[in-house]
Amino acid sequence: MRQRSLRLRLLITFGLGALIVSGLAATLTYAGVHRVLVNDQRQTDLRQAYVNAALVRSTLYTSPTQLANELNAIQRATHSNVLVQTHHQWLSKSTGAATQDVSRKIVRKVLAGDPTEQIRNVNGQLIFVVGVPIPAVETQFFEVFKLNSLENTLRTLLLVLGFGALVTFLLGIAGGLWVTRRTVRPLERVSLAAAAIAEGNLSTRLQVTRADREVQQLTESFNEMVSQLVERLERDARFASDVSHELRSPLTTLATTATVLQQHRDELSPAGQASLDLLVADLSIFQSLVRDLLEMARTDAGAVPLVIETVAGVELVRQSVRSAARRQGIHEPPVEVEASVGDPLVSVDRRRFERAITNLIDNAHYYAGGATFVRLNVDGSQFAVNVDDAGTGVALEERDAVFERFFRGRAAHDRGLARGTGLGLALVRDHVRAIGGSIQVLESPEGGARFQILLPITAEEAP
Amino acid sequence: MPRILIVEDDDHIRTALRLMFEGEGFSVDDAPTGELGVALFARMASDVAIVDVMLPGMTGFQTCQALRSASDLPIVIVSARDETVDVVLGLESGADDYVTKPFVPEELLARVRAHLRRRPDKSANAFQMGELRVIPDEGVVRYRDGSELHLTSTEFRLLTDLASVNGRVLSREDLLERVWGYDYFGDSRLVDVHIRRLRMKIEPDPASPTYLVTVRGTGYKLVL
Repeated sequence: MRQRSLRLRLLITFGLGALIVSGLAATLTYAGVHRVLVNDQRQTDLRQAYVNAALVRSTLYTSPTQLANELNAIQRATHSNVLVQTHHQWLSKSTGAATQDVSRKIVRKVLAGDPTEQIRNVNGQLIFVVGVPIPAVETQFFEVFKLNSLENTLRTLLLVLGFGALVTFLLGIAGGLWVTRRTVRPLERVSLAAAAIAEGNLSTRLQVTRADREVQQLTESFNEMVSQLVERLERDARFASDVSHELRSPLTTLATTATVLQQHRDELSPAGQASLDLLVADLSIFQSLVRDLLEMARTDAGAVPLVIETVAGVELVRQSVRSAARRQGIHEPPVEVEASVGDPLVSVDRRRFERAITNLIDNAHYYAGGATFVRLNVDGSQFAVNVDDAGTGVALEERDAVFERFFRGRAAHDRGLARGTGLGLALVRDHVRAIGGSIQVLESPEGGARFQILLPITAEEAP
Repeated sequence: MPRILIVEDDDHIRTALRLMFEGEGFSVDDAPTGELGVALFARMASDVAIVDVMLPGMTGFQTCQALRSASDLPIVIVSARDETVDVVLGLESGADDYVTKPFVPEELLARVRAHLRRRPDKSANAFQMGELRVIPDEGVVRYRDGSELHLTSTEFRLLTDLASVNGRVLSREDLLERVWGYDYFGDSRLVDVHIRRLRMKIEPDPASPTYLVTVRGTGYKLVL
């Protein structure tokens, strides 16, 4: 479905609404004014026609020869044409008058003795014809009024009303814009804030501004919702952390006693020795798990401040790999530096970077028979640290999921391994992100997995 | 038989540690509080001490300070927390090393043994450092006027080891291996904090050191 924009719809609604209302108002006004004006004109013209008819009648009584002059005098005085007919013959007319202005229908009616009026359109000109019978002298009097001035007035009125409608329409659009600003803006701000929160920026809140009550309510409930969510997240994180903290002391006792038992291993029966070995092996997983959980809880809570140092990248990796391998007591993979790498400086928290490398080497050790190489190269402005192995690799569809907490991939299932804590790679991602880098899984030249850490290069050459 | 002092308020952990260290041939003195621990040390003259940070009454840090002011014995702090500030506080109060709970018991054993194995290197040559003269065969540092500057054994070892490589750079890992005797564990913060403490004692201006120089991204060197 096509997405409709609320902004556009509001604008259209307001614009159309204003147009309809103003159009309707203009039409009604025009119709009303038209009626009133035409009526007024009619009344005036009628009255004048009767007066003129009376004048003509007295002229016909007293001095019929003066009729033409009289008619012209009327025309000059009233700007209307006058015609006089007797026995179907035009007796006389004023100079500007045209007999075709007077229709047969009106002549017939007036002959029958009825005063008659008619509005006609002759050659695009609106005229008002009034016929008055003068039975005493057996004549009919017709007066033809031009409605020019009325028409002009009405045209001006139409223009004014049209302009008014246009202004109203524009005002409607402006109103629509204003309302849109007031309603859509807050919605957009909510949407931006929600996106920021979704990206993990949990301190994001909407700013409480002077706004409409509804908007303010929205702002307040939104902020309240975010606070509740954050509180809940923190409670969950605290719970994990609290549980891990509580486990530390008994776990320390357990591990120490297991060591004491191992000192007395020779005194145990074969079954006792086998049990002790199982106990020791699982205790060590348990310890790693609690350790990782604690580390994760601390990272989540943001309790560990970053200690960022700018250091030589290649040397940093060499040292980290060496100490990681030694710490875990596993084979130290050779570090291969591509010729183009040079001596880039990177800004990292040394400790957290080392943790990331340790976990990656550990991961290769558990699931892929150990890391084969740690290869370094430069990718644009990024320093790439590749921890490669020759294992079965990571399936395409698992390449994001391996960084999820407690994810166990096919590799772990296939080999029946449960030695890792399921948190190692998640911690790697946390650490790498914290120092401004990124991590992804690719394929190594050996056909196994390549875990690639990308760090932004702070400067090209060490000074 | 080495004597170890264990100050730990958790009965179970304390008993387990006692059993383990006794099994490894130590004579163990243990105390549930710092006060008792310090009193015990005064009578027993232990060779090495393990001190828990979270103690009722006198804290682990205070216990550490009290022990340090009385002796140069190696002290390992056991901390429930891994935050840098705790580690730094622990080392600042005079400890030589720290482990965090839950620790791997073998690792604690290995560290304690490494500390006991460590002996000052008396074969190194004496050298001059501004106002100071470092005399390895006596294990002392003296001012021009003959008065002594007190360094802990770890600090002294750090200084003489850096001097023994004639100005070459030693990485943090190298130093952990040489000074603490660790070949596969340890934390670079351990080195950094001790270097800082050493600078406070020997540098004319610890904020901009002229003898104990940091080589960015690599480690430390001693410029004479």
